[in-house]
Amino acid sequence: MNFFKRAWLNLTAKKGRSILLILVTSAIMLFVLAGLLIRNAADTATSNAKQRVGATLTLSANREAAFKKMRSGSSTSKTSRPKLTTSPVKLSDAKKIAKLSNIASYTATVSTSANAKGFSAISTSGSSSAGGMKGMGGSTTSSGDIAISGVTSTSTTSAFENSSSKITKGRGITIADEGTNNVVIESELAKEDGLKVGDSIKLKATTGTKQTYTLKVVGIYKASASASTQQGPGATDPSNSVYTSYTFANTVKGTKYKNTADSVTFNVSDPAKVSAAKKAGKALINTSRYSLTTDDSSYQTVKASMANVKSFADKIVWLVAIAGTIILALIVILMIRERRYEIGVLLSLGEARWKIVAQFFVEMVMVLVVSIAIAGAGGKFVGNQLGKQLVSQQTTTGTMSTQQGPGGGAPGGNTSDTKPAGNMQGGGAPGSNSSMSSQKQAELAINVTALDLVELGGFGLAIMFLSIMLASGGILRLQPKKVLIE
Amino acid sequence: MLKANDIGYWYDRQENSLFEHVNLEFKSGHSYAIVGQSGSGKTTFLSLLAGLDKPRAGQIELNGEPINQLGLTNYRRSHVAIVFQSYNLLTYMSPLNNLLTAMAVTNSSHRGDKAFAMDMLRKLGITDEQMTKNVQKLSGGQQQRVAIARTMVCDAKIVVADEPTGNLDEENTQYVIEQFQKIAHEQHKCVIIVTHEPDVAAACDQSYRLAKHEFTVEA
Repeated sequence: MNFFKRAWLNLTAKKGRSILLILVTSAIMLFVLAGLLIRNAADTATSNAKQRVGATLTLSANREAAFKKMRSGSSTSKTSRPKLTTSPVKLSDAKKIAKLSNIASYTATVSTSANAKGFSAISTSGSSSAGGMKGMGGSTTSSGDIAISGVTSTSTTSAFENSSSKITKGRGITIADEGTNNVVIESELAKEDGLKVGDSIKLKATTGTKQTYTLKVVGIYKASASASTQQGPGATDPSNSVYTSYTFANTVKGTKYKNTADSVTFNVSDPAKVSAAKKAGKALINTSRYSLTTDDSSYQTVKASMANVKSFADKIVWLVAIAGTIILALIVILMIRERRYEIGVLLSLGEARWKIVAQFFVEMVMVLVVSIAIAGAGGKFVGNQLGKQLVSQQTTTGTMSTQQGPGGGAPGGNTSDTKPAGNMQGGGAPGSNSSMSSQKQAELAINVTALDLVELGGFGLAIMFLSIMLASGGILRLQPKKVLIE
Repeated sequence: MLKANDIGYWYDRQENSLFEHVNLEFKSGHSYAIVGQSGSGKTTFLSLLAGLDKPRAGQIELNGEPINQLGLTNYRRSHVAIVFQSYNLLTYMSPLNNLLTAMAVTNSSHRGDKAFAMDMLRKLGITDEQMTKNVQKLSGGQQQRVAIARTMVCDAKIVVADEPTGNLDEENTQYVIEQFQKIAHEQHKCVIIVTHEPDVAAACDQSYRLAKHEFTVEA
């Protein structure tokens, strides 16, 4: 084990050279560690995204099948114009799917409209003839100036989940509001009409008996500015959107809509299992009447973004490792050439060649230990800077791609086209924005752990071993006579 | 003890051999000098005896066994110690560490015995202060003494030296000559010295001259 002592004596005797070696090795280790940290952080972010981003299944009328049926009807009967007939979702069917193991919760949505009575709807230019858009999800309604979103619970709607709408006063609609006439109105509408929590408003149905209903304001919400500006052509002002229990919305639509919904959204407990949940759900429904669609776009966006970051981090690790091996091998080769005389002396003493190689390896390992400590201290900073840059590039790409879909920024604010949510709700207050959520989720938590340092040590040892092996050819061929005598 | 058995050496072609059919025997407790003109092949012959190279013909035998069979590395480690004209010490170490390293590498019976090494250095005129300094800070004569001390702390029974006094002044030369004679006669080792200097050759028990590809015994 004399080569350990020789390695130590050599490193301490040639301080300048040792410091230079430590600096070069530290730089290599720093970049390898940054790559490892980003890769591990991307892994963690992806698995966290599974839990946090979530995925949904939406049960709604099968419009494709309905169109086919309409067209086949028009080919046989040429006397009258064919009508598109879709079926609302029966809640009993939805409850069957809700019992599946991967379904965490569900929310029913019914959209309709009514006219304000005794108070004024917000009027914006171009919105006077708007309101519920016809035939967007199954029900056909006449237009009213107030868009009604009947929900199981406001908190589970995407607008409130992604914070584009927030309850500012009172409370939201909950499951306990089933069968009641409670309503949550938008803050601008409340301000214009001097309404507050506890007041009553009246809405007049636009269909059937055109009955007037009295509703009690239980909460006031504020839609975000972006939601307010996302109204499309023909939509009512987003401030005219109100939330009620789905049972009240069904009452306004008519008696035949009792215990139905325009669509039912199921939250899947594990986004990775959304396909399995969809398959199991489809087996429980009549697919000619209903369609079951998935929306895991946020999860997929984060996953794709993190996969890109991870792939880039992998490339950093391998490129730096390969470049580091080459650089260190060249340094060691130069070092060995410079130390031919010393090798010759040791060989003349009868030292085994492998022990001379081992001495160089031990010297490099000693350098590596110091370099890992330096890299450990600076790795978090470099990893953070590099990670931020990578994530910002990935998020920009993700945002651009989600906004470039058909009808980007359409009313409803839903970038996924898999939620035919009945009537469009007054310019898009409710809805989700996957790019927003991906930006929020795609953050890398970069921390240096003992495991990272162990992994770095493994990489470092491999680099040192390869470098020494590449350089030791010279030692194995060296003849002491040539060095010491000739 | 050590026998050159019909050995020959050449670089490219046998016709240009440095020497051929050399048969010499070296005994323990004796000192030998090999003299001759520059380029005659003295150092090459010494490198064959030291196990630093292999003869092209014949073989070197140690106590009747070819050194090739022992393995040249093993032979150098266990049986031979070499002193070079340019000292060939480990330059990043102190004199003391040079000795301790040699003792460790050669598995000397005094391996790890720092006091023994220090005592040997003292005997050769290296002070306690000098023995812990970097070896390059010593004069040429002192470095050669350290190199000789290195051969003395190892258990090797054969000591070969290539122009050990080539870089030394008269006083140091005389000192080194005395040390080699002590190694041969007091430690009962076989000392073989390649030299140009008549004083060194004269001090040895036996001298061989290499001239015209042949070894002859000097009177």
